[in-house]
Amino acid sequence: MYPLIDTIYVQVISGSLVLLLAAHLGLKIWQALLRQRLLQRSLLERINRLLPQTQCGQCGYEGCLPYAREICRGDAINKCPPGGPETIVRLAALMHRPVEPLNPAHGQVKPFAVAVIREAECIGCTKCIQACPVDAIIGGPKLMHTVIEQECTGCDLCVEPCPVDCIDMISRAWGNPVIWLLPSSGVGVRQQLDTAV
Amino acid sequence: MSQSPHHKSFTARLRAHKIFGGIKPAVYKADALRSRVMPAPLPGNLVLPLLQHQGQPAMAVVEVGQAVLKYQVLAMGNGPLSVPVHAPTSGVITAIADSAVPGFGAQVQRCIHLQADGLDTAAELQPCLDYRALSHLQLLALIDAAGICGLGGAGFPTAEKLRVSIEQGVELLIINAAECEPYISADESLIRERADRVVSGAEILQSVCLAKRCVIAIEKDKADAIEALSTALQDSSIELLVLNSKFPTGGERQIIQAVTGFEVPRGLLPVDAGILVQNAGTAYAVHNAIVEGKPCISRITTLTGSPLQTPKNFEALIGTPVSFLFEMCGIDKSQHTGTIMGGSLMGIELDSDEVPLIKTTNCLLAKSTGEFPDPAPEQACIRCGYCADVCPARLLPQQLYAFSRSEDLDQLEEHGLADCIECGACAYVCPSHIPLVQYYRASKQAIAERDRQFQTSKQWQSRFQFHQYRLKKETTKALDKKLPGAEKTTANEPAQPFSRDQARDEIAAAVRRVAARHSNRTAPSSAKDKAKDKDRH
Amino acid sequence: MGRIVTSSPMQHGSLDTNRIMLLVVAACLPGVLIGTWFFGYGILINISLAVIAALVLEACLVKIRGREPRLYLADNSALVTAVLFGIAIPPGSQWSLLLMGIAFAIVIGKHAFGGLGQNAFNPAMCGYLFLLLTFPLEMTSWHIPNDAIVAGSSFSPIAWQGFLQALLLTFPFLTSDPSGIQATVDGLAMATPLIEFKMAGPNALRAAQENGLSLFARSSQTGWELVNFGYLLGGLFLLFKRIINWHIPVSILATIVVLSILFYAPGSTSIYGTTYLHLFGSATMIGAFFIATDPVSAATTNKGRLVYGIIIGASIYAIRVWGSYLDSIAIAVLFGNFCAPLLDHFCRPRLYGENRPLPTTENLPRAAAENNEPGS
Ligand code: SF4
Ligand code: SF4
Ligand code: SF4
Repeated sequence: MYPLIDTIYVQVISGSLVLLLAAHLGLKIWQALLRQRLLQRSLLERINRLLPQTQCGQCGYEGCLPYAREICRGDAINKCPPGGPETIVRLAALMHRPVEPLNPAHGQVKPFAVAVIREAECIGCTKCIQACPVDAIIGGPKLMHTVIEQECTGCDLCVEPCPVDCIDMISRAWGNPVIWLLPSSGVGVRQQLDTAV
Repeated sequence: MSQSPHHKSFTARLRAHKIFGGIKPAVYKADALRSRVMPAPLPGNLVLPLLQHQGQPAMAVVEVGQAVLKYQVLAMGNGPLSVPVHAPTSGVITAIADSAVPGFGAQVQRCIHLQADGLDTAAELQPCLDYRALSHLQLLALIDAAGICGLGGAGFPTAEKLRVSIEQGVELLIINAAECEPYISADESLIRERADRVVSGAEILQSVCLAKRCVIAIEKDKADAIEALSTALQDSSIELLVLNSKFPTGGERQIIQAVTGFEVPRGLLPVDAGILVQNAGTAYAVHNAIVEGKPCISRITTLTGSPLQTPKNFEALIGTPVSFLFEMCGIDKSQHTGTIMGGSLMGIELDSDEVPLIKTTNCLLAKSTGEFPDPAPEQACIRCGYCADVCPARLLPQQLYAFSRSEDLDQLEEHGLADCIECGACAYVCPSHIPLVQYYRASKQAIAERDRQFQTSKQWQSRFQFHQYRLKKETTKALDKKLPGAEKTTANEPAQPFSRDQARDEIAAAVRRVAARHSNRTAPSSAKDKAKDKDRH
Repeated sequence: MGRIVTSSPMQHGSLDTNRIMLLVVAACLPGVLIGTWFFGYGILINISLAVIAALVLEACLVKIRGREPRLYLADNSALVTAVLFGIAIPPGSQWSLLLMGIAFAIVIGKHAFGGLGQNAFNPAMCGYLFLLLTFPLEMTSWHIPNDAIVAGSSFSPIAWQGFLQALLLTFPFLTSDPSGIQATVDGLAMATPLIEFKMAGPNALRAAQENGLSLFARSSQTGWELVNFGYLLGGLFLLFKRIINWHIPVSILATIVVLSILFYAPGSTSIYGTTYLHLFGSATMIGAFFIATDPVSAATTNKGRLVYGIIIGASIYAIRVWGSYLDSIAIAVLFGNFCAPLLDHFCRPRLYGENRPLPTTENLPRAAAENNEPGS
C-alpha cells in the first residue's frame, strides 16, 4: 500500500523524467540553432545582400561587392546613395555600429529611375555599352542602342559617356504601390529611418 | 496527369464535417430576403471594367462611338486568365478610359463606358437545346466565350479552372452555396427562387469537368433554399449536403473540409486533391450561358444595410453604378456613412459609390453609424488566444500579430502567414479590437516587396559578376592574341583602383573623339573597336 | 505612400478586454466573500487598498510613458492585478507593505516590460514574491482574530469590532496603542493548513474533521477548504463563460492529483499530504484558475498551455513537499512564465493541411480506377 512510491524511486523517476525532457528540449533547440546556422552566411555575403546591387560606383568602389569587402575591413557604412537610409539602418544593425546620415560626398538619395535611350538620336558609338556594369544595353557599332529596362539598375553610369546626350533617366515606381500600412507604423525600423535621413 | 486522385472513400466521407475554428456572428439576412429577386432598372450609363476578376484584363474590340447590341462582345479574352466582356444592354460606346473601379483604396482601371439607348435591343442568342449533345470541350468553349468568372467573390475565370480540372482529373464537384457572411443573401435568394436552374448549371459543370460526384453544400440555417433544392434535386444524381452554419465555411478550403473531412495539403491546390469548388451563382450563370445562350451580363447582388428603405436582392446589370442601385433601394443619404462591397467580414470598403457593379460583387452594404460604429481603439494584445481558437487555418494570430508589429518577416513566414485566408475571424473575436487582418495584409505586402527586391538585386549582382568575368576573359584573350587593344584593356583591369577622375578623363577623350568623328561622319571605326565588338556580340 | 486603407472585418464580436477583466474580478467574489466570512475583513481591506493604489500608479505610469490614461485604465488589467495581489497578501498586513508590493507589481512587473501585453511575468505574483523575499516573517503571519482560530467558536470576525480591528492592523498609526491591537488580535501567526501540516504534523485539520464540526462553523481549517471551493466555483464560471480555456487549470490540477497520489504516505511524520489536502488545503484553486491563467504571461497555444500547466503543477508540488518555502503558487507560476516563450515557439498547432496526405486512398494507377468505375 502506501506509500506508492518510496523516496529513492521518486528521485530516480523524477530525475530521469526531467533529464528526458531536458534532452528532448535541448535537441529541439539545437536543431533550431543548426537550421539558423545553415541560413547564416559569411559577413561579407550578408553585407552584400543588404546593398542595393545598383553597381553604380558612387561609393567609390567598382561595385557593391567591392564596397561590401571594404565595409568588412572597416569602411564607413554611409556611402551608398542608392540604398539610402534604409540600407544604412540595416548595415548599422548588422555591424553593430551607430546609424549615421548618408555621406553627401557620395551623392544624394534619388528616386529610382531607369535609363532610356532616345533611339532616334543614338549614333551607335557603344560608349554606353562599355559603361554599363550589368550589360543591360544592347546594340552594335553604328547601330541604334537600347536599354533592357528590366535589367537596368538605374546606376547613371551610361549617361555621362554618351557623346550626344541621348540617354535620359526616367523615374519608375520602385516596386508595387503600398496599399496596406501597419496600423502600428511609426514603431521600430521606421523611427530609426527618420534619424538616418 | 501524374497524380491520380480517386477515392471511393469519398462515398463514406461525405457528410457535414467540422471545420477548424470559425465563428458564429449574428446574421442580418432577413431584411434583404423579405422580397423576391427583382431585376434592377436600366441605368443611363454603364461602366464595364476590362478586368473584373483575378488575372489579365480583356482586350477591347469596339471603338468609341460604336453602337452595340445587348449581348454583343465588347472585349475579348486575352490569354487564359482573362474573360470576355459583353454589352449588358444596347447603346453607344462613349469612352474607353481609365475610371474608378471597386477595390482596395482608390483604384482606377481601363473601362468601357456604355450609354444605354433604352431600347435594350438584343443580338440574337444561340441557346443550346440539349447540352448533352455537345462534348465537354465544346461546353468549355461556350463557357469561356460567355465571360464567366467565379461569382462568389474571388472571381477566378471559370473556364480556366475547369480546364485545369479536366487536365488533372477531378472526382468531386462541390457547388458552394454556404454563403456564411452575415449580410449576404444573394445565393440564398437565387436558390430559393431558381433552384432548378442552379441544379441544371451544376449538372452542366459536372459534365464539363467529368467529376464522378457532385454535391451542393448549403448551410443549415437556409431552410427555404434547402427545401427548394431538395425538390429540384429529386431526379438528379447530384447530392445535397446540409452543413453546420459557421463562418467561414464558404471559404474554398474550408468547404472542402466541411464536405469531405479532408484538408487540402499545404501548398497544393484543391484540384490536386481531385476536388473542384464552384459557387452556386456561377452554376446559375453557366446554365444561362449554355441553355439560354446568354453571356454573363448580370448577376444577383444583395443590397442591404440600415440606410436602405427597401433592402433587397437585385438582378443587376454588370456595370450599373453602385449609387444608382442604392437610389433604387431608397437610400437615406443622411445616415449613409460608407459602402462595403462584399460582406461585413471579408468585404472591401469602397472609396466612393461612383464605381460600377462588377461580376464579383455579391453584396453592397450601406453602412450607418448605428450598425457600424467607428472601430474601438486598439488595445494591447493580452495573448488570450481567442483568435487562435477561431482561426480556420489554425494559425496563431497573436504570434503573427507580434511578429508583424516587430516587422519580423522571417518569423512571419515560418509561422505560416501565407496560409492566412484573411477571413477576419480573429479580428472579430479579438477582445482588444486589434485590426489583425490589416496587420497581416501589410505584412504580406512587405514580404512580397522584400522578395521582389531580393530577386532583382540578385539578378543585378549576377549580371555584374558576369560583366566583370567577361571583361577579364576578353583581356586575357586579347593578350593571348596580342591584339592591339590588349594594353589598353589591361589598364582598365579591375585590379587597379577605380578612379572616377580617370574615368571622367577617358570619357571626355571619348566624347572628343566621337565629336570629331561625328563632324566628318565617314571616319571608319578602328580595327580595335571591331575586334572588341565581334567578341562582344 | 499609398492611401491607408482600413481592412475588413467591419463587424466585431461582443467580448472586450475590459469586460473579460471585470468577469475575472467577479469570478473572484465567491472565494473572497467566503474568506471574509471566516477570516474577517482583512482581505477586503487588502483588496481595496491595493486597487486604489494600483489604479493611481497605473494612471501615473501610463501618463509618464506618454499615453492616454483613460484608454489604458479602461482595460481594467490593473484592477485584476490588484485584486489578485490583495488576495495573496496575508490579511492584516500593514499598509506600507501593501503599497510596496503593489508598486513593485505595477512598476517593475508590468510597466518596466512595456505595459499590458508585454509583461513576461505575472505582475501580481512579482509583487507578492518581492514581499515574500524581503519580508518573509510578515508575509507568513496571518493575523486572524484570536477566537476565529478556536474550532466552533461563536465569535464573528465580521462584526463591526472585527472590521475595526482589521483596519487598525492595516493602519497602525490610527491608534495610539498599536501593541494593544496586536495583543487582542494577533493571537497566532498562522498560515494555511497545508503549511501547518508541514510544520506541525497533521493535527488541526484532522482534528476539526474528527470533531464533526459543521461546515460553516468558524474555524480557520474548514474555512480554508471552503475558500478553495469558492475559487473553484469562480473558476468554473470563467470556464463556462469561455473566458479561460480548460487547458491550464486542468493540467495543473491533474498534475497535482497524480503526484500527490503517487507520493502519499500516511503517518504523522510524513510531509506528503493527501490529494485532498493538496487541492483544498492551500491556495491551489486560485492559483490554477486565476493566477496561472493570466493570459499575458502564460503560454498562448493550447498544446503549450498543457505543458505549462504540468510545469506549474509539478513545481507547486515539489516546492511544497521538498522545498523550503511555505507556499509555492507564486514561485511556480513565475517558473512557468519563464518557460512560456519557449513553449509558444515549440508547441504550435499543426496548420490546416500541414503534413496531410493527398486524399488518395489506394495508390492505384488511374487506368485501374477507371476500369473499376463503370461497374459502380
Ligand atoms: S553606391 Fe552604388 S556601387 Fe556602391 S554599394 Fe551603393 S549601389 Fe552599390
Ligand atoms: S484575440 Fe486579440 S488580444 Fe487575444 S490573443 Fe488574439 S490578438 Fe491578442
Ligand atoms: S484572418 Fe487569417 S489569421 Fe485571422 S482567422 Fe482568418 S485565416 Fe486565421
